[in-house]
Amino acid sequence: MEKNFILAGFGGQGILLAGTILANAFMLDDKNVTWYPCYGAEMRGGTVNCEVVVSDTEVSSVHKQNCDYALVLNQQSFDRFINNVKTGGTIVANSTLVSEAKPRNDIQYVFAPMGDLANSLGTSKVTNVVSLGVLSSVIDIISKDALKLGIEKVLGEKKKDLLPLNIKALEAGAELVSCAKL
Amino acid sequence: MSETDKVLIKGNYAIAQAAVNAGCQCYFGYPITPQTEIGEYLSGKMQELRRGYVCAESELAAINMVIGAVSTGVKAMTSSSSCAVALMQEALSYAASDELPVVLVNVMRAGPGLGYIYPAQGDYNQSVYGGGNGDYKIIVLAPSTVQECIDLTYKSFYLAHKYKNPVILLADGLLGQMMEPASFGEYPYPEIDNSSWALTGAKGRNSRAIYSCARDEKKQIEHINHLFEKFELISKNETSWEEFETDDADIILTAFGSMTRNIKAAMKVLREKGIKAGCFRPITLSPFPHKRINELGKQGKDFIVVEMNMGQMFKDVKYAVNGESKTELVNRPVGEWLKVEEIVSAVEKITEKSYAASI
Repeated sequence: MEKNFILAGFGGQGILLAGTILANAFMLDDKNVTWYPCYGAEMRGGTVNCEVVVSDTEVSSVHKQNCDYALVLNQQSFDRFINNVKTGGTIVANSTLVSEAKPRNDIQYVFAPMGDLANSLGTSKVTNVVSLGVLSSVIDIISKDALKLGIEKVLGEKKKDLLPLNIKALEAGAELVSCAKL
Repeated sequence: MSETDKVLIKGNYAIAQAAVNAGCQCYFGYPITPQTEIGEYLSGKMQELRRGYVCAESELAAINMVIGAVSTGVKAMTSSSSCAVALMQEALSYAASDELPVVLVNVMRAGPGLGYIYPAQGDYNQSVYGGGNGDYKIIVLAPSTVQECIDLTYKSFYLAHKYKNPVILLADGLLGQMMEPASFGEYPYPEIDNSSWALTGAKGRNSRAIYSCARDEKKQIEHINHLFEKFELISKNETSWEEFETDDADIILTAFGSMTRNIKAAMKVLREKGIKAGCFRPITLSPFPHKRINELGKQGKDFIVVEMNMGQMFKDVKYAVNGESKTELVNRPVGEWLKVEEIVSAVEKITEKSYAASI
């Protein structure tokens, strides 16, 4: 089984970090995983994205045309990647910044006000972690507990003080969408 | 590899930390995308460890600083990318002639000229055949995964010192920027004794000099013959490659570096479609595994070379096959790596064509 994710948002929304946490979670779950960022002239305010591929066997290629899951935190990212979701795939969007339109009928949509929830937790900086919480509640291949380990690993000893807030954001995100796993 | 020491790490950081573990005492470099993280990481780490770090004023200065440092017998390196590695070619020719253990990491980007920062594999010729003057040879290692960025960085330092020969670690932007689980372990090679040649001050012994100026034709001929005999030995001892399912294969997909992952995936798809494909990838681009490729060619296996340039390694494969079987090229000059589906359909087209020609 091989699945791939595109994670995208504004530069500064922490999307590369979200991808890093996701990839760490898969690694700790003993999966083969790769993380590949768009790199180059992106800057704060522009769109930035990364691709995470997870596989039971060796990852077949790091950078693919289409994805099984897209996690998008702003409108530009939604517009840019909506056509890169495979038929039957899922796009998970931050409805605080993305309008709830469904231009394709062969994919599944999850809209959740991730930015608003992050603000209610005290800082929009945790929108990325909230989004991972949402992701864990709607797809099967990544669990909230695995993501917790991923967050711990990424924060490490140095930033351990940020752990409680991030765990809270993850938990809150996981409860944001009431629907069962797709 | 135990699970606990696995880390999710970028190729660039992996190379940098591996250099630290290998005992690299000095790093000299000048920033350029897509390898800047190497210098960034070492700028802090080398200071912490009280080792040498200089952000040089140019690439030309950086590689010449490496020459200075390794002349004293220590391990030292620089890293850069394509168009800036072009600036270092003169120094590589000097280092090869001076028999100095220079380690150069090239994280390839697109060329020619300034090109751009997206990945490419266009420096095969620059690395393997060299842009410097005269007859010389460089050892070139091509990692295909982040784990290999570590393993082959270790090997680069070892081979450079073992054979007193410059080594290029030829990675690419995709490998430098991507993250993948990997583990460092310890530097696995023995330390090489440099005391017979290193410039360490002449107290208590005769003075030494390292130079490449040759005013005596006869001695120069001897010197070049010596360099090439040495490289013969390197070819004999160090040529390495990897093969997958070549035993029963009719066609062998061949790639180097991070494209290997894609040809292996394409091989699986092709096998499901009934095409007996195998994979071959040189780990050492120089010395190149000519002999093994020729053997496989003699068994009637055709080669399809897949690379992100205009067919640079293709020429070496063709030369190695030497007409024993067919060789074809599937390529794109720069940018997004050829996708698995693209490789599969290109191979299908080639095999259909050759089937049509055979009836």
